[in-house]
Amino acid sequence: MIRVIALAGRPNTGKTTLFNALTGLRQRTANFAGCTVEKATGIMTASGGDVEIVDLPGTFSMLPQTADEAVAFRFLSECAEAAGDLLVLCVAEASNLENDLVLPAGLKAAGYPTALAVNMIDEARLNGIKLDAPELSARLAMPVVLVSARTGEGLEQLDALLTPPPLHADLTETLDFRTAAKKRLHQLQDDAVEAAKAAAAASMIWPRRSVLPTVACSIRIDRVLLHPAAGPVILAAAMFLLFQALFVGAKPLMDLLSDGLGSLADSLRALLPDGALSSLLCDGAIPGVSAVIVFVPQIAILFTMIGFLEQSGYLPRAGAMVDRALRPFGLDGRVFIPFLSSFACAIPGIMATRTIPSEKRRIVTILLAPLMTCSARIPVYTLLITAFVPATFSPLGFNGQGVVMAGMYLFGIVMALALALVMKYTSLHEMHPAPATVLPPYRVPSAKELARYVWARCWHFLSRAGQVIFILSLVLWALAAFPRDAALLAPVEARLEAAREASPADPALEASLRDQLAAARIEGSALGRAGRLIEPVFRPLGWDWRVSVASLSALAAREVFVGTLGTIYALGGESNASDGLITALREAKNADGTRRYGLATAVSLLIFFAIALQCVSTIVTVRRETNSWKIPAMQFAFLFGLAYLLSFAAYRLTLFLG
Amino acid sequence: MTLDAVPLDVPVRVLGCGGLTITDRDRLAGLGLRPGVSVVKILSTPLRDPIECLVGSQLLAIEARLLSHIRVELA
Repeated sequence: MIRVIALAGRPNTGKTTLFNALTGLRQRTANFAGCTVEKATGIMTASGGDVEIVDLPGTFSMLPQTADEAVAFRFLSECAEAAGDLLVLCVAEASNLENDLVLPAGLKAAGYPTALAVNMIDEARLNGIKLDAPELSARLAMPVVLVSARTGEGLEQLDALLTPPPLHADLTETLDFRTAAKKRLHQLQDDAVEAAKAAAAASMIWPRRSVLPTVACSIRIDRVLLHPAAGPVILAAAMFLLFQALFVGAKPLMDLLSDGLGSLADSLRALLPDGALSSLLCDGAIPGVSAVIVFVPQIAILFTMIGFLEQSGYLPRAGAMVDRALRPFGLDGRVFIPFLSSFACAIPGIMATRTIPSEKRRIVTILLAPLMTCSARIPVYTLLITAFVPATFSPLGFNGQGVVMAGMYLFGIVMALALALVMKYTSLHEMHPAPATVLPPYRVPSAKELARYVWARCWHFLSRAGQVIFILSLVLWALAAFPRDAALLAPVEARLEAAREASPADPALEASLRDQLAAARIEGSALGRAGRLIEPVFRPLGWDWRVSVASLSALAAREVFVGTLGTIYALGGESNASDGLITALREAKNADGTRRYGLATAVSLLIFFAIALQCVSTIVTVRRETNSWKIPAMQFAFLFGLAYLLSFAAYRLTLFLG
Repeated sequence: MTLDAVPLDVPVRVLGCGGLTITDRDRLAGLGLRPGVSVVKILSTPLRDPIECLVGSQLLAIEARLLSHIRVELA
C-alpha cells in the first residue's frame, strides 16, 4: 500500500510550493490565504520508494467554517477510516510559529500521525529568528524538519522523513471531524492553542526588535498603497495601465504571428494542388486556429500582471480596500479574489468562492463571477475593437482602443454590481461580513513561479485553441464547403467563364466574380442555410447570418466566435488570416454596396459577449459547485435573455445617435 | 478599554472578546486574535473600514464594527 502524505496547515504557509517542489508538478501558488480550495494529488519518488502527496486547502483552526476547510478535514477523516498508511505533514511558516503550530498540535492530539515542516526558514533567518528544531520536536512529540520550499533547503531531510517503510500507525482512535461534536472541537482547539504557545516559546529565539523586518517593510509599503487618497488612485492606475499594456505591448508580437500564419497559409496554397485538401488546410484549419493563436501575447501580458499581483501580496489588500465599497451591493471584500480570478477564467473564480463561509453569498458570487471579463473574451473584444474603433481615436492622449477595452472590463464589473444590488432584495441576500482577513507580508515574486504561471495559462488557452477550435474549424469548413448549390453557382460560374475567355482580359472583373463565386458557395452551403434560418432571431441586434452562426458556435466557448468568422470569411474569399479578418469585417459590404457591419453592430456584439454565459465548462463547474442543474440553467437563461435585451437596446441607441 | 478607542500605533494586549457571534469569535481566534496577544492598530484603509492591525507577528484587516467588542489593555 502506497503511503499517503497529506500536507496540512494554515493558509499561505507555502504548502503548494512545497507540494510542487516534492512532486515536480505545477499547482498554482500565490501570496494570499485561500489560493488552494481543492485537494491536489501527486506522486513523489522518494529515496525509499514512491509516496502519494496530497495538497490540502489551508485551515485556520480545528473548527472548519468554509467549504475549502471542510475538504481538508473530510479528507483526513476518510483516510483514518480507511486505515491506510497515512502521515499528516503539517506546514508552518517559521515567522508565524505560534499560530501555525495550533493545527499540528491539535491533529496530534486528535490521534493523527503527524510531522512538521517549518517552511520559509530563509525568511525567518532574515527576520533574525532562531529555531531549535530538536526542542520543537520534543515539545510537540513529532518529527520536525526546517525547510525552504522556494529554495529547496531542507528537502533532503524531508525526503528521509517521508520515505516508507510504513508507520503502521493505529488510526482506530483518531477523531472523525465529520461527526465530532462542536464542544469536543472547541476543547481540542483550546488545548492546541496552549500547546502551540508553549512549544513556540521554548524553541524560538525572537529578535530584539518588536516588529519583524519583513512585517515592518510591509507596513511601510501599506502606508503608501493603502493611503486614503493615494491607495484608490494607485489601484485604479494599475488596472488602467494593465489594459493599455494589453494593446500597446502586445501589438508587435500579434502582427508577427498574424503575418507568419498568413504566409504559412499562402505557401501551402501555392504548394498544394487546388482542391478539397488545400481548401481544408488554407481556408479551414489555419485561419480558424490562427485567428485565436495571435491573441497569445495579450494573454501572456495579462497573466504576467495578474500573477505579479497575486504573488506580491497586493491582492488581499486590494480586497480590503474595496470591502467597504462593496457592502451597499450586498457583497464584501472576500468576493474580490474570486472576481479577480474570473478575469483569467470564470472556473478558478467560481472555485475560489469556497473560501466564503456564507452559502447564500457564495451562490451570489458564483452567479456573478462569469460577468468578469475572462481571457476567452479578449480575442472577441480585440477583433471588434480593432475593426470598429479607429486607431486615430485617442482620448486625452491615451490609446483609444485600450480605453474601450478598459471600458469593457468596467462594464462587466458594473453589470455584476447592478445585479448584486438586485439580488440584495431577494432571498439570496444574507448579512455576513468578513470579520477579518490576513494581509501577508509583501514578497518579491519568483521569476520562475511567475513564468510557470504565465505558461500554464497560455498553454490552457492554446490547448483549447488547438483542440476545440481546430476540430470546430474543420467541422465548420465541411459545413461551409458543402453541399454545392448548383442553381446558385451556375450563373456566376458562367459569367466567370465568359470573363476568362474575353479579350482583352479584365483582371478586376475576374477577381470580383471569383469573390462572388466564393460567396455564393458559402451561401448555398449547409452553414449558410442554417445561418439564414436563425438570422431573423438575431437580425434585431444588427447581426447577419455569418455573425449569428459565429455567435451560436461560441456558446461552447467564446473564443470560437473568432475562429468561426475566420473560417466563414476565408471560405467566402474575403480574408485569409486574423489581420485579414479585421480588414474583411471593416470593409464587408452587402449586395447593394452598403456596409455590412457598422459601429452599432460592434456595440451590440460587445454587449452580448460581455453578458451572455457562453462557456460549457463554466456551466458544468457551476453545476458541480452548487450540486444542482437548476442554478446553472437559470443562470444561463437569465444572462442570455439579459444579453439579448441589452444588445438590442445598445444597437438601437447607437443607430439613433448616429 | 476596547480596541476602537485605542489610537493608531499604540501597542495593547487583548483581554477578550465580548458580544460577538460564535462564528466571528472562532474566526478571529483562528486568525490569531486571542487573549494575551499584542495588537497595534496600523492604519485605516481608504474607506476607513477595515482597519489594518498588527496582531502578534502578522497583519490583519479587521472589520471596524468588531473593534468595539475587543477588550484590551495597554501593553
